[in-house]
Amino acid sequence: MTTTETANGPESAILDLFKKSQTENKSASPALKKFNQASLEKFETLKFPRRKHEMYTFVGTKELVDTKFTLTTPGAISKDSVDELIYSTSKKSRIVFVDGVYSEEFSDISGLGKGVSLTPLSKAIEQSEVSDYLLGTVTEENDVFAAINGAIVSEGQVLEIAENTQVTEPLQILYISSDTNSPVMHCPRVLIFARRSSSLNLVVKFAGEGSSNFVNAVQDLIVEENASVAYTQFQNDSAWHFSKLRATLNRDSRFLASNAMSGARLARCHYEMWLNEPGAELQLNNLSILEGKEQAHNYVQIHHKAEHCRSAQLFRNIVTDSSRSSIDGTVVVHPGAQLTSSDQLINNLMLSDDCRADNKPNLRIYADDVKCTHGATVGQLDIDQVFYLKTRGLSEKAARTLLTQSFAEILIQTSSSPQAAEDWRNVLLKKLGAK
Amino acid sequence: METEEALSEALEDSQDYKYGFVTDIETETFAKGLNEDVIRALSKKKNEPQFMLDFRLKAYAKWLTMEEPQWHNVKYPSIDYQNISYYSAPKKKKKLESLDEVDPELLRTFEKLGIPLDEQKRLSNVAVDAVFDSVSVATTHKKKLMEVGVIFCSISEAVHEFPELVEEYLGTVVPVGDNFYAALNSAVFTDGSFVYIPPGTRCPMDLSTYFRINTEETGQFERTLIICAEDSHVSYLEGCTAPQFDSNQLHAAVVELVTLDNAEIKYSTVQNWYAGDKETGRGGVYNFVTKRGKCVGDNSKISWTQVETGSAITWKYPSCILQGDNSVGEFYSVALTNGHMQADTGTKMIHIGKNTRSSIISKGISADQSSNCYRGQVKVGKNASGARNYSQCDSMLVGDKCSAHTFPYIESANSTMQVEHEASTSKISEEQLFYFEQRGISRENAITAVINGFCKDVFQQLPMEFAVEAQKLLTLKLEDSVG
Repeated sequence: MTTTETANGPESAILDLFKKSQTENKSASPALKKFNQASLEKFETLKFPRRKHEMYTFVGTKELVDTKFTLTTPGAISKDSVDELIYSTSKKSRIVFVDGVYSEEFSDISGLGKGVSLTPLSKAIEQSEVSDYLLGTVTEENDVFAAINGAIVSEGQVLEIAENTQVTEPLQILYISSDTNSPVMHCPRVLIFARRSSSLNLVVKFAGEGSSNFVNAVQDLIVEENASVAYTQFQNDSAWHFSKLRATLNRDSRFLASNAMSGARLARCHYEMWLNEPGAELQLNNLSILEGKEQAHNYVQIHHKAEHCRSAQLFRNIVTDSSRSSIDGTVVVHPGAQLTSSDQLINNLMLSDDCRADNKPNLRIYADDVKCTHGATVGQLDIDQVFYLKTRGLSEKAARTLLTQSFAEILIQTSSSPQAAEDWRNVLLKKLGAK
Repeated sequence: METEEALSEALEDSQDYKYGFVTDIETETFAKGLNEDVIRALSKKKNEPQFMLDFRLKAYAKWLTMEEPQWHNVKYPSIDYQNISYYSAPKKKKKLESLDEVDPELLRTFEKLGIPLDEQKRLSNVAVDAVFDSVSVATTHKKKLMEVGVIFCSISEAVHEFPELVEEYLGTVVPVGDNFYAALNSAVFTDGSFVYIPPGTRCPMDLSTYFRINTEETGQFERTLIICAEDSHVSYLEGCTAPQFDSNQLHAAVVELVTLDNAEIKYSTVQNWYAGDKETGRGGVYNFVTKRGKCVGDNSKISWTQVETGSAITWKYPSCILQGDNSVGEFYSVALTNGHMQADTGTKMIHIGKNTRSSIISKGISADQSSNCYRGQVKVGKNASGARNYSQCDSMLVGDKCSAHTFPYIESANSTMQVEHEASTSKISEEQLFYFEQRGISRENAITAVINGFCKDVFQQLPMEFAVEAQKLLTLKLEDSVG
């Protein structure tokens, strides 16, 4: 190991955390330890972003990197507060992580039937399929925070949807953080296999009131041949939120993701999508509604590795007060991925003079028979539309609220979970109504 | 549209680089290497005033602290900056009275390039400041321009004759430490053009400079400074060709434009430098250029139009700083890459003043194994209320081994502005070609027509002569690439 013992910087703080987690989990399986070790080495080569880093063009990570985080055991969370966050359709199909650690007490997948299995990561990693996959992701990892997750994770879960299993009930994964006074890092990790011709409706929610938590989540999703996964995510925690979702799409598989971000002190979602076999289809939507000093950043990488794949992205951001949003999205069409179709559209609505909306929609194309487009707009409400509504008797404020909400509504409707959509409306649109 | 015969003839011609010849003239060249003494010697040789030497030394000190940029999307073997000779000039004989006294060899070179130096070409109404390997040899139309008060001369001349103008504006748009190559240029630039348009003057003709790289392994460090005073207007043309060499040549130019109130500069470039061997990618010019304009005054306008068809590597972002209220920035670009060429080009539009507007139209065509990349930034500052930007960047791929990339950076910090960005990537569709062929038009001609149609928005912005040249260049360049 090439540890730099001399460095006293933030990197060595992570090294201390790694050592601590290794001593605490002495009994962990060798396969998991190997994965932790490989991730740590990756972290050491990647290092924290300093000065200008292409991956963090719009994200100021200095404060986060300079904060010394500790690892703790899960704090106390009442059953009621968990139940409140679980959607009514997922009472018996829920997986709960408290402060980054899987909670046996709050989780319940009894409503999902035989085709769905949940195994602790420390056990599942002994299978070569899981360990090979995870070690493979470490080699390819480009996100330093995901590497930290890999180095420290001990209590992840592996979810498997068996072949030809149609999971009709929405399965909810809830990541809840307890309120702590000192900076604490949580590293939840979930690996999901949607086997051949299976289907899954997954709803993910990040919640928590803490002002100094650092949620550093990684979710991996493997969608096998002809499987389809609908995915809805709601980021509604308040301190630091970094999450990475890596999806691998195989032949004729479908992945529909709709996400909403309510922003946090610093929230960043990283989507790494691999369309590895012909016929894969991806839809990625994201809505951010921010106020105060909230920040929400998206970093998207979509890799078209095979022919005849389709991807579409739609991002909408509404920024008010002195909030900040950014989208850094890249579509890579690899050599040979002919007949690719890819769209990307980013719309920003800026409602104050102190907010910021940054965009970087990139295209990298190595094949000639493709159709790729991207577009980005930044603007305000159309005064003609406001005027029209005013002539119909609406007040200026009501007209603006209505138009702003309808800007968001298009994205809310793409959610595969009506309950989550309702939740988005309650939380996000309320922010706009109060303006 | 050319006929089949003409096309096949042109095809044969295009096998070799059209302008690939070396003029054999004695040149005076510094020994290779760069240090403070070289800069002092260079400045002394050019008999420069103290402020210029200070400028160069400051830039050199800055350059030493900088690192070569790595963020761009191009690959090349690292450059040994100590293995470059930083000064080369055709040997000065005595002051020449007329063109007859100019080395006939040199004149022939210009003729081959089609530079209208002689009398009959003077009628074409284009004043030419021909930079032959760093030192201006002849300037025409100077007198005529002087009558209306326009100053158009080499920058070394300007340093002596108009030092106060040079001192006031040099380095105000591209500061000495702006980037690695700009710093290098500021330290060692040898020559370039200087233009000053006095208040209330519309320059009576298009100004034009032809650059030419001649001596093997001589880096060219051109410096251009154009100042448009209040209510004035100028259109400036720049065209580049270079002879065929087998070793990479570094070209790090800096162009600075300044417009005061109500002034307008239109800057057009056709670039066709040697791009290296088509099969192996060996040789070719490294074109690391910093071009930037600053709309200092209110209601001023800067418009960049470029047609990039040459160079092994193009690294170039003609930019506009829209500082004055109501100022306008425009960028029109066609970048064609073939063989093993790599282009990383685009623009920056920095909106600072109120009601500033900018538009970006970029067309990239990549063929063979080349890589073509648009990288643009639109930045709207907090005080730039009412700012407006429209960007469109389209890419076309010809062949399945080339690549096209788009990296737009859109940064907005004002709620009364509007920014739109659009990009698309496509290839020439089989349906389009079939339609042409069905009408009896050959495949090659059909492709030419489609490509020219694709670039029309940009060609329309070019002055007439350039537009014709540009269309021909694209056709020639693509002939071998389209099967």
